[in-house]
Amino acid sequence: MLKISIWTKQDEEISTTMLNHPIVRNIRRRPLLVVAPLSLIVILYLFIFSHREPSKKTQKYSYKSKNKSWFNKNKDSVILRNLPKNHLSHYDLNQLTVSKTPLENKEEILVLTPMSKFLPEYWDNLNKLSYDHSLISLGFILPRNEDGNKALKSLEKAVKQTQSDPTTKFKKITILRQDTNSLESQAEKDRHALAVQKERRSLMALARNSLVFTTISPSTSWILWLDADVIETPPDIIQDLAAHDKPILSANVYQRFFNEETKKPDIRPYDFNNWVESEEGLKLAKTLGEDEIIVEGYAEMATYRTLMAHLYNAKADQNTEMALDGVGGGAVLVKADVHRDGAMFPSFPFYHLIETEGFAKMAKRLGYEVFGLPNYLVYHYNE
Amino acid sequence: MNFKLDGINRIRLLVACGIIFTITLLKILFTPSGLYSPSFDDESVKFFDLDNYKGRADGWQYEERVLFCVPLRDASAHLPMFFGHMKNLTYPHNLIDLAFLVSDSSDNTLGNLKKHLNEIQNDPNLAMRFGEIEIFEKDFGQIIGQSFSDRHGFAAQGPRRKLMARARNWLWTVAIKPYHSHVYWRDADVETVPPTILEDLMHHDKDVIVPNVWRPLPDWLGNQQPYDLNSWQESDGGLQLAEALEEDACIVEGYVEYQTWRPHLAYLRDPYGDPEIEMELDGIGGVSILTKAKVFRTGSHFPAFSFEKHAETEAFGKLSKRMGYNVYGLPHYVIWHIYEPSSDDLKHMEWMALEEIRQKEEAKIKAVYDKVWDKAFEGVQNDWSKERNDFMKNTDLTNFRKIYVDWSGAESENLVENNEEDKHLADFDPA
Ligand SMILES: Nc1nc2c(ncn2[C@@H]2O[C@H](COP(=O)(O)OP(=O)(O)O)[C@@H](O)[C@H]2O)c(=O)[nH]1
Ligand SMILES: Nc1nc2c(ncn2[C@@H]2O[C@H](COP(=O)(O)OP(=O)(O)O)[C@@H](O)[C@H]2O)c(=O)[nH]1
Ligand SMILES: [Mg+2]
Ligand SMILES: [Mg+2]
Repeated sequence: MLKISIWTKQDEEISTTMLNHPIVRNIRRRPLLVVAPLSLIVILYLFIFSHREPSKKTQKYSYKSKNKSWFNKNKDSVILRNLPKNHLSHYDLNQLTVSKTPLENKEEILVLTPMSKFLPEYWDNLNKLSYDHSLISLGFILPRNEDGNKALKSLEKAVKQTQSDPTTKFKKITILRQDTNSLESQAEKDRHALAVQKERRSLMALARNSLVFTTISPSTSWILWLDADVIETPPDIIQDLAAHDKPILSANVYQRFFNEETKKPDIRPYDFNNWVESEEGLKLAKTLGEDEIIVEGYAEMATYRTLMAHLYNAKADQNTEMALDGVGGGAVLVKADVHRDGAMFPSFPFYHLIETEGFAKMAKRLGYEVFGLPNYLVYHYNE
Repeated sequence: MNFKLDGINRIRLLVACGIIFTITLLKILFTPSGLYSPSFDDESVKFFDLDNYKGRADGWQYEERVLFCVPLRDASAHLPMFFGHMKNLTYPHNLIDLAFLVSDSSDNTLGNLKKHLNEIQNDPNLAMRFGEIEIFEKDFGQIIGQSFSDRHGFAAQGPRRKLMARARNWLWTVAIKPYHSHVYWRDADVETVPPTILEDLMHHDKDVIVPNVWRPLPDWLGNQQPYDLNSWQESDGGLQLAEALEEDACIVEGYVEYQTWRPHLAYLRDPYGDPEIEMELDGIGGVSILTKAKVFRTGSHFPAFSFEKHAETEAFGKLSKRMGYNVYGLPHYVIWHIYEPSSDDLKHMEWMALEEIRQKEEAKIKAVYDKVWDKAFEGVQNDWSKERNDFMKNTDLTNFRKIYVDWSGAESENLVENNEEDKHLADFDPA
């Protein structure tokens, strides 16, 4: 093949400059003279080539690169960069601390957020965290749809700005595009229909797991789960929650709204996934099939569980703790060891619980205790 | 002729352009939603589309990265053999990222591991060198000793499994990156394994897949034996047993205490069977597991609690299935775990060694006696048969009555005595 193209090139040159050269005339008159040796070369070439094939076939598999088509190129960040000597790193996890005083011990925090919508208030709140930003890494996972595209563009802009300013710069930011599907519609009433809850929360569980397990590093001491629509937390939330030294600790998620009756701004409970199990709840679970789930906050499913959302007392101590059996994902601080031991967000009914509530159950099966702070409020966006 | 050629080339060029244009157009039109990808110059920000790392059957041809996980405890003795296998791996080494967890070791496992790794990473042949290598150290406290019988006693299984599960989870959770497409688990103490193991397992395109694991045995134990009984298919008997046990119980296969009647991958092996044959499994063993990375990424793991009455790798099989992944084993494709003698085997081997010495001594003594004996009773038998006819020349030998003496009683008594001597040796206590 190669030889033919070289010849045609030469031929072209010859033909333009020396069209009347005797050799050329000769070729023109008797083309076989050229064609015959050429085809011989081609046949020889093919012969040698085909002889090489069998020797290749002694290998069990082909190692020829099947490059993904060039217009569908992988646009991800270059994978291996700045590797240490011999590509070798060594981490002693026995030295990793998880303490009441994380800042003094320079403990690293990983803040994780599944994000279907980018809210500027969320970002501002994040930037205001008083914990040392050089000890905070961020992780985001966005759905594989138009919502995700939109959020990703806004997030990209915000990240670039924050990272270019040394005073706000975070240690590391990982942004993931989810491989698993997402439900298209995210309007509040669609999201909360009981029928779609199981599927939606199952997909959310997969997204949360993909996020935590690809971003948790050997130096991560704590993980703060913070939903993208939690737009207001105390700036000291990391230090405040860590001070309780609990494996899993959930803040109480409320929502600001304008109270039409009192004509005043007001707050109301939002997240009902922080609860204490009840006799009725356990009885209900027994009547369910293996694949059925219980979700909180639906009249069809009265569990009479104690909901942390209802236990807020403005006058009481902010540091009051209560033991929980289920947690939501709004604002939860988790010791990284809990996830390292394998506690994850079940995407299937696990003791009839899924996602964050199933996570609390699994952590308990691993021997960890779960707590909540009824009087420590964070605020959910009001749509 | 020249003009013609030019014309053809031009047409070809146009056709090629046309084809490329339409394909690009089709791609743009039909790629799901035309997903946006950001780009960051800042080293501190990374973006990954997890859809690029789902794991294909021929991943090595697409530069798919494999996370190769190895848990180690007091494993110095196995490392030379282990690295021998590593060097021979045919999967492109630069696509393999290694992750080791060293726990509770007192034999300088860490130092030896680093020595081997530095050696391989300085190989003049660049193709020998591996991708990213991470060594993690974490001690969980020893629950039981690391000798074969310590580890394989029935009572030790539950707590040991849960501890091993924690160790395995600590390893993969810190080691897995967004860009891994496959995860491979391998124990250090595998003696024989094909260098194509990764491709051999990967081309089946399963979410979770394991080979059959056997071990060679000394002749006196019958040459070979199934090693890994943790790879099995669920049975009604198994489900009934699970139902009957309390929440924290942990069924372990291969122990008489738990009769499950489950079909085991190990026992289904036919040495002449097709190595490509697949068998669906529910529980799996951990000696050599290949999974798509998404299995771990989306949350499957080695339960360090009793999950459906199982823990660790067996529960990993169950959990992965619960999450909708497929789990398979290859009954006729075998890798070989080392033979580690149990404490009974050790006693038997001690006896065999002593027996060999005894037999040698005996042979020596016998040789001496035989010599003496031969000297004392030289050639009498032959002479007698010759001379007999002379002595008996006046007797009619055709009517000679044969006399039988039954010595068997006396002989067997002797034998019993001998055996008892042997018995004493067999019970020899090495301690
Ligand atoms: N990656 C990803 N994140 C999502 C998806 N749906 C919701 N989220 C995010 O997950 C968190 C909780 O979801 P949300 O719909 O607010 O649940 P709710 O607060 O319980 O109503 C929020 O941070 C959302 O932005 C999804 O399909 N994929
Ligand atoms: N990190 C760690 N590795 C272990 C521990 N126990 C065993 N291993 C390693 O895990 C693998 C399998 O262990 P082994 O004792 O051979 O298991 P068995 O063959 O099933 O009896 C080997 O590579 C061991 O070195 C442990 O407690 N921690
Ligand atoms: Mg929300
Ligand atoms: Mg072993």
